[in-house]
Amino acid sequence: MKAKLPFNPHGGSNGNLERALREAPVPVEPEAEWRGLEVVLAAYAERRPRRRSTSLPRLAIACAVAALLAALLLSPAGASVRDWVDDVFSGAPPPPPRPGLTAIPGGGRLLVRAGDGPWIVAPDGSRHRLGDYDEASWSPHGLFVAAAAANELSAVAPDGDEHWRLSAPGTVRDPRWSPSGELIAFRAGAGLRVVAGDGSEARPLDDSVAPLAPSWSPRGQPELAYVDARGTLRVVDVERDRAVGRATTLAGIRWLEWGGRGGVLLEGSPRRIQLRPITARGDRNGVALGRPRAFHLPAGEKVADVALAPSGGKVAALLGGRIGGVRRSELIVFDARHRAPVRLLSVPGRLAGLAWAPGGGRLLVGWPRFDEWLFLPTGVAAGQAQAGVSEAFAPGGERGVFPHVEGWCCRATLHDDR
Amino acid sequence: MATEQTVFEDAPPSLSARRERRLVRAAQEGSTEALAELYAAHWRRAHRAAYLVVHDRAAAEDVAQDAFLAAVDALDRFDRRRPFAPWLHRIVVNRALDWARREALRRRVDSEEAEPIALDQPDLGDELMAALRDLPPEQRAVVVLRHLLEYTPGEIAAMLELPRGTVNSRLRRALDSLRETVEVDR
Repeated sequence: MKAKLPFNPHGGSNGNLERALREAPVPVEPEAEWRGLEVVLAAYAERRPRRRSTSLPRLAIACAVAALLAALLLSPAGASVRDWVDDVFSGAPPPPPRPGLTAIPGGGRLLVRAGDGPWIVAPDGSRHRLGDYDEASWSPHGLFVAAAAANELSAVAPDGDEHWRLSAPGTVRDPRWSPSGELIAFRAGAGLRVVAGDGSEARPLDDSVAPLAPSWSPRGQPELAYVDARGTLRVVDVERDRAVGRATTLAGIRWLEWGGRGGVLLEGSPRRIQLRPITARGDRNGVALGRPRAFHLPAGEKVADVALAPSGGKVAALLGGRIGGVRRSELIVFDARHRAPVRLLSVPGRLAGLAWAPGGGRLLVGWPRFDEWLFLPTGVAAGQAQAGVSEAFAPGGERGVFPHVEGWCCRATLHDDR
Repeated sequence: MATEQTVFEDAPPSLSARRERRLVRAAQEGSTEALAELYAAHWRRAHRAAYLVVHDRAAAEDVAQDAFLAAVDALDRFDRRRPFAPWLHRIVVNRALDWARREALRRRVDSEEAEPIALDQPDLGDELMAALRDLPPEQRAVVVLRHLLEYTPGEIAAMLELPRGTVNSRLRRALDSLRETVEVDR
């Protein structure tokens, strides 16, 4: 039997209406609650005047996201994610942070790009600004830094002493010192140029190249890989000024790294990561560029950064994306032989910057939301987080731009730090 | 791909008044876990109240989130001897009302273009929901506060900063309208 709604503003006798309001299905995305929680906890972490422990918000957010992931993985919507995640080991929670920048785990020196230019970080954590440069990269043994500022390239000692400087036809970017130390390749304007390590004999290699850093062969030969403006991967013998290999590469390629004693070339774009085998054709007879093999990336995730391990046997990748509506980042280590990848970290927000330790035993990754660098072991050793990173590179103690690690020196001088 | 629209029942985890006071105090002192627990205890009810006022899925999510953000912002000023829920619900319903009023104004401005109202039309098969949607937002708000969140007219008057008589008249008009369109099993 149907009846009209009763009305009693002073009592609770509208039971049918109350029940209907309580039970009426409300449309909501399953992840909406967790999406809101992430935003609320982030706001809380920023405003909180009395912080009991710097690790608490990270832990809570990590737990919340873990719960969300669990919920999604159990839902039909998460099926594609589950299919992929099943292939990897679970990531450990981020290590608790230590206040301030202290000794670099595993040793070595860091070259860091902060808001006011490059800085050098010594093994004990002490640091100094290199000078008025825009970007920089290590020489193979860390004896010098190739530093770029506007249309000038300089060779600078780590203490800031500038040894030489040259002008180029266009803004200088991505200087890369050859493993032998004899040559520096760099982009100048739209072109690619090379100069001897003593600053002499600068000359063009290509008039029009893609906007990404070239990469030298680690074999010690003066062979340089780069991508031209048409998107073709090229390998040239710089001394003989001769092309020794070419191949089609990824559309929108942003990362190129030659490693593994010259045996592999890492190619990365926001959508794809692939490793290409490279075979030398005898002494100075060029190289054979093999067929690349791509790593399977989880659907919907984009590559934010990628780096080849010093051995060439592993590839670390920062992947970012949304599961449901939750922005998150993951640090995944892929195996060159395509064994199961390992997820080292999965956190809400953005991870930025990726650098392998010289021996390949650790990875350094930045977590801007908490102003931290995470030093994560790829083996069984414990990780370490160092907080207050921005302040460490901001004169006067003001928090500045989150610093980006340009290089962890030096593969040529340190043993494996595992 | 994520399911576009999912419907779930929302039984919130219940907190005793004592437990809630402890959580509020802990959150004021910096405990993220306490805040997360308060959020978990109150989000679904807050979201439901928001949805029943705005009848828009995305807006309801925004309103619930904004309400918690506002609560976080004002947490230090919150008198923890008072219950947390009414404080939060007051924020939720007032923000939902603001949104509904803006939306109604926008629809009037855009009416010449005869754009369909951007409301969710879930396949609920629920006449009550449709009838509720037809009410003015001010009446929806008092119905939700009275019959979902179970506040007295006096409490509603304080929450919405209205005379108690206005609350009663809105409630009466709302239920009269609902009677005209809805029959409910007794």
